[in-house]
Amino acid sequence: MFRVVHYINQFFGQIGGEDKAGIGPQVKEGIVGPGMALKQALKDEAQIVATVICGDSYFNENIEKAKAEILDMIRKYSPDIFIAGPAFNAGRYGVACGTICKAVKEELGIPAVTGMYIENPGADMFKKDIYIISTRNSAVGMRDAVPKMAKLAVKLAKGYDIGSPSEEFYIERGIRKNYFAQYRGSKRAVDMLVKKIRGEAFKTEYSMPTFDRVKPNPPVLDISKAVVALVTSGGIVPKGNPDRIESSSASKFGKYSIEGVLDLTENEYQTAHGGYDPVYANQDADRVLPVDVMREFEREGVIGKLHNYYYATVGNGTSVANAKKYGAKIAAELKNDGVDAVILTST
Amino acid sequence: MDLEIQQRVKDLAEKYGPENIVVLLGGAEAEAAGLSAETVTAGDPTYAGPLAGVSLGLRVYHVLEDDVKKEYDPKVYDEQCSMMEMVLDVDAIVKEVKPIRDQYCKYL
Repeated sequence: MFRVVHYINQFFGQIGGEDKAGIGPQVKEGIVGPGMALKQALKDEAQIVATVICGDSYFNENIEKAKAEILDMIRKYSPDIFIAGPAFNAGRYGVACGTICKAVKEELGIPAVTGMYIENPGADMFKKDIYIISTRNSAVGMRDAVPKMAKLAVKLAKGYDIGSPSEEFYIERGIRKNYFAQYRGSKRAVDMLVKKIRGEAFKTEYSMPTFDRVKPNPPVLDISKAVVALVTSGGIVPKGNPDRIESSSASKFGKYSIEGVLDLTENEYQTAHGGYDPVYANQDADRVLPVDVMREFEREGVIGKLHNYYYATVGNGTSVANAKKYGAKIAAELKNDGVDAVILTST
Repeated sequence: MDLEIQQRVKDLAEKYGPENIVVLLGGAEAEAAGLSAETVTAGDPTYAGPLAGVSLGLRVYHVLEDDVKKEYDPKVYDEQCSMMEMVLDVDAIVKEVKPIRDQYCKYL
């Protein structure tokens, strides 16, 4: 029976939410949380001998240190398989799962599998290095994801050939493999072309990578005369969150006047964001949306003027497609209003 | 179902006995209602909360299901729920919740 070490974050480790995201790595013998589902899926082929739990903030703020600590923990249990997550659409969790899987594979020589939603930043960062099972964007997809992860992990441990992404449900790694096709290339290409012309569905044999490159704008000619706007994905909203912007997977953005506002106070502003510890942002929202400093700059003539409105949404779990849509709308309005430059702040 | 509520359901089931508890759901979405129903019967399907791996098997209904409607004071229902009954996709909600109840509830 193969030995498995499982990695999860503080939330799935049932230690706590964002308030516990700063905890360092710890090991528990046996299974915790999603390990229960994993155990069922692994049946009697493999056994989870230990679970490593680490806070998402701790990991991402101390990547090298956390990686070394966790590798030491894993090494002690001499596993045959390493499984992390699934992380779904949780960005920092995804990065942690990807980092550890890559390190386990390369430094310990142990097969590693994780699971993520395709838009998780960790997926793009690590899909070339490791097998990442494609999951839904929330923990609702646990039941679907875990058996796929278990199956692939056991296959890797046995040294079996791994099939294509669509057969094994992992995110495409950009690897090409030779195989014998029924028809020669020219016929397959013409068949595809005919389908394309007819407007029928066809499946490409070599999908082009999509590069989302944004060309930098030319520099602002004279910042001391420029109108500068603040835009944030950190969820800073007037107290009470009048537009009810969601704490995760935001369905909208807000536009708020800061005409005459010199400082964002605790009584008038707060964050609507559900993906970080809100205490410090609620105490002083300038920490996320620096209106106070911008007013100083305005007074000192460093910038021309702070735009009368700021825009805010919540980046937590918000899909890339929606974020793009909000960005385009906000940019169009800012251009219309004669804004010359924008400072974007995250969390 | 969030972690605190899972803990509360678990505590109540321990205190009063699972056979004496009925969970009424008010969620507006079929999938969310189904997940909550699964959480209090088979266990937390996301394996994140206190009910992960704990099969309480509680009786669970969505507040708009016909099976429980007859228990209510019609006046109160009219006031509190009838509006939502018109707006929500009740069929979809029942289709999610009922099979889960039939499969996992231990006290029907």
